[in-house]
Amino acid sequence: MKKLFVLFFITISLFAKEVSIKVEQMHCPLCTTMIKQAIKKVDGVTKVKVKLPTKTATVNYDETKVNIADILKAIKSTSYEGKVIK
Amino acid sequence: MQRRSFLKTAAVVGTTMAITPSVVLSDTKTNPFGITKKPRKFTVINTFDLETNDQVAKLWVPLPLDSSYQKVLKISYNGDFDEAFISNNNPYNTKLLFAKWNKNSKSRKLVVKFDIIMQERSVNFSKAKNSTMYPDDVKEFLKGTKHTPITKKLTSFAKEITKNARTPLEKAQAIFDWTVDNMYRDESVIGCGVGDASRIIDKKLFGGKCTDVSSVFVALLRNVGIPAREVFGIRLGKSMISKSCGKADANGFAKITGGQHCRAEFYLVGLGWVPADPADVTKVRKQEKLTNDDKKIKDLRKYFFGNWEMNWAAFNYARDFVLNPKPAQYPLNMLGYPYGEMDDDVLNYYAPKEFKYSYTSQEIK
Repeated sequence: MKKLFVLFFITISLFAKEVSIKVEQMHCPLCTTMIKQAIKKVDGVTKVKVKLPTKTATVNYDETKVNIADILKAIKSTSYEGKVIK
Repeated sequence: MQRRSFLKTAAVVGTTMAITPSVVLSDTKTNPFGITKKPRKFTVINTFDLETNDQVAKLWVPLPLDSSYQKVLKISYNGDFDEAFISNNNPYNTKLLFAKWNKNSKSRKLVVKFDIIMQERSVNFSKAKNSTMYPDDVKEFLKGTKHTPITKKLTSFAKEITKNARTPLEKAQAIFDWTVDNMYRDESVIGCGVGDASRIIDKKLFGGKCTDVSSVFVALLRNVGIPAREVFGIRLGKSMISKSCGKADANGFAKITGGQHCRAEFYLVGLGWVPADPADVTKVRKQEKLTNDDKKIKDLRKYFFGNWEMNWAAFNYARDFVLNPKPAQYPLNMLGYPYGEMDDDVLNYYAPKEFKYSYTSQEIK
């Protein structure tokens, strides 16, 4: 049972990715809420942090379910442009 | 800083000041709208009932400023917060109430109450001087900010608008006229608008709401060297001008959640800060389906260049600044609405039901 759990955890970790996206147009605190809500709606996204001081969105996601293009598309749906920086 | 145990039982902590307006009751000046100099007094109640969760909740609540036209008689607050205090230790001397709830608080309630007395603002333009020697504290409002910048493009644009004007007063009038003529109220804009003057002018997107209109007015003035500022506040009661500018029931009671309104001021030597409200000209024009040729709009644009009807309380002049205590997200565009965070998530101040805050006002006759 323990081995199964470890295997499951490793499998999940293999597909868990993190990406940092610069959103230059972000100009006020409410932008962070709008962008965060849009990204969170994408199936496969597990965690989102959006910071106005650095104008970045850090997104954790499961790459078997979602890719970066989907995340950028979600940002674009809020009228902002995202650019992957890491 | 104060302890939760104290605040839970202390219902009222606040400021009490005497009211001594500089021009008390003597003037019964009339105008096309029947507005008089008689002071108006209001009691305002601002309540919060925030979501409870495993995050730390923080609130920065704008409070009314004291000035020659507006005196705060008393501010009180109570709730079940873990920490709360009133401070004006913020850029632009912005007065606010800060409140904080630790994570897993069972309830997050706060009630802020203030009594305020105000008097209609009116200036006599014959006292304006042509000097541009401004006091040091006024020079602050010649500087650009992120949303109201000083740029070569904006300066050139503002100079074109004022090319036939000689004095600061004539320049201010030309910019006011341009703003009223060219900007229009766009009801689809959320809240009071972002107030990004540079974007509005660069992209020729002249639709907006009060912060948008005021910001353009302010930015253009600053770009021709006239100190100017947006003034963020909230409508409190009935307007003599139009329902669009404020309303209340027969007893003077008003639900004013969402009544935030941004006005503007510019500085003329000899007069000091001059009130203006180009945004409400555009609002009345739109909501009453009038045109610039209508007498009411002609009267209104004349009135709102040098006058404010005081059924509205001013909060602050702050733009593009970092709040103190420092939030997770910054800088803040403006503080006309309560600002709140759950850890580093911003509460949507344009959605009071979701945020869970409300405002009411009672005029005291």
